[in-house]
Amino acid sequence: MKTYWDIVGDGGSNVAAQVEAQTARLRGRMAHVRRKVAVVSGKGGVGKSTVTANLAVALAMDGLRIGVLDADVNGPSMAKLLGVRGRPLRAGPDGILPPEGPMGIKVVSMDLLLPSDETPVAWHGPAQQESFIWRGMIEVNALREFLADTAWGELDLLLADLPPGADRISHLTGLLPDLTGCLVVTVPSEVSHLIVKKAVSAVRDARWAPTLGLVENMGRFTCKHCGAPEAMFPGGDTRAMATAMGIPFLGSIDFDPRLAAASDRGVPLVLSHPDTPAAEALVRIARTIHGWVEAV
Amino acid sequence: MKLLCVSCDTQMKLEETTGPVEGSLSVSFACPSCAHRIALLTNPGETQLVRALDVKIGGRSSPAEPWEFVRTMLAARGEDVGAREEGSTASAEPASRDFGETSASSVESLSRDAQAEGLGAGPRCPFSAVANRAAEAASLTWDPSAEKRLERVPDFIRPMARQGIERFAAERGFTRITEEVIDEVRGTLGF
Repeated sequence: MKTYWDIVGDGGSNVAAQVEAQTARLRGRMAHVRRKVAVVSGKGGVGKSTVTANLAVALAMDGLRIGVLDADVNGPSMAKLLGVRGRPLRAGPDGILPPEGPMGIKVVSMDLLLPSDETPVAWHGPAQQESFIWRGMIEVNALREFLADTAWGELDLLLADLPPGADRISHLTGLLPDLTGCLVVTVPSEVSHLIVKKAVSAVRDARWAPTLGLVENMGRFTCKHCGAPEAMFPGGDTRAMATAMGIPFLGSIDFDPRLAAASDRGVPLVLSHPDTPAAEALVRIARTIHGWVEAV
Repeated sequence: MKLLCVSCDTQMKLEETTGPVEGSLSVSFACPSCAHRIALLTNPGETQLVRALDVKIGGRSSPAEPWEFVRTMLAARGEDVGAREEGSTASAEPASRDFGETSASSVESLSRDAQAEGLGAGPRCPFSAVANRAAEAASLTWDPSAEKRLERVPDFIRPMARQGIERFAAERGFTRITEEVIDEVRGTLGF
């Protein structure tokens, strides 16, 4: 009796051919994007999306053509952070036209499809109690469509803001095998370091993509009374952690309440308060990334 | 997955796919040698797995529209999902969601199709709201004097300013953006 491998073709189901067509469409679209960088962190709440939005603007100010993919399907924030929330979506001849944020940054986020603030990301399905089985597949295909069916045009850099969890990187690398690398964000707390180390190791061991560097967010804050800088979190030495893990330390971003306020208004800090230490640190980090874009 | 007719040691060929009906697909195969036929019947979970792959068994009859999968799979509200879970019927499933088949050629026409199928009237089709907003924005016109005024805004922030003004105007039901509208929105955007 024949085995699976003895039989050529799929008997007319055409499933493999459809998957190949999807892959080809994605590949064709991404051929116009020079570099793709994932912004990741094993830990939630470290300000990864805020860092992504500000780096995107700083890089665009440097003259790069930037796209931002909000790969956090369930907790999308990029549309808000980059001021495109509520912008209409339009279809062009070459795909969905992404709304443009500051400096012409093209933004795609699940948030653009949700009808209200309260609407959760829920998928139609006959067996919701078993949704854990298929939900991941749907999310990956949603990302595939966001990448492949959006009229990104020619981009120098696509930044993908991933949800917390090292395993999510594999979702993206499955779609983007030529991912330039991962930018890892942490806060200088021991708890965050504990989790982020695992993420860095997972990325390295699975050879998903190179880890381009480590960014420390909320490193210090300035006392509003005496002006002295103080540590936000006691204990964690992010630079030492980067050194120990053999990855570049790209810089530390001060905590600044204006950053949160600017984010809420959809105007990243590097635009609204470019002369603050936090904005200056973001611009320095962006310049390093710009160097990768040109050199990698 | 491949199906083999054990008697003939021949791969069976797909004949027909029907459904999903009440969450179940029926996929018929026949042996090209002995004409023996079988049907593969999926349970709702298995149907959903096929859906989640964004493929149609037997192939698509038309190319996928942009973002078709995500738009047709996205539920608007939790209670919609819950209702389907309790007792979904074939009529409760929009035809356009069956593996994403649709003949629409644009975002707007997809939304119109959904409305024609009774999907767009309520909260079930979140995309109709988005498309409606797109139509509203498209109907906004800018007075030349307002455009000129916008040109005074620095380049880097102009797209955002335009967006803010259009959004402000749409929310208030304006169809034309004049200098007066810009004056109204100035305080909000701070320029």
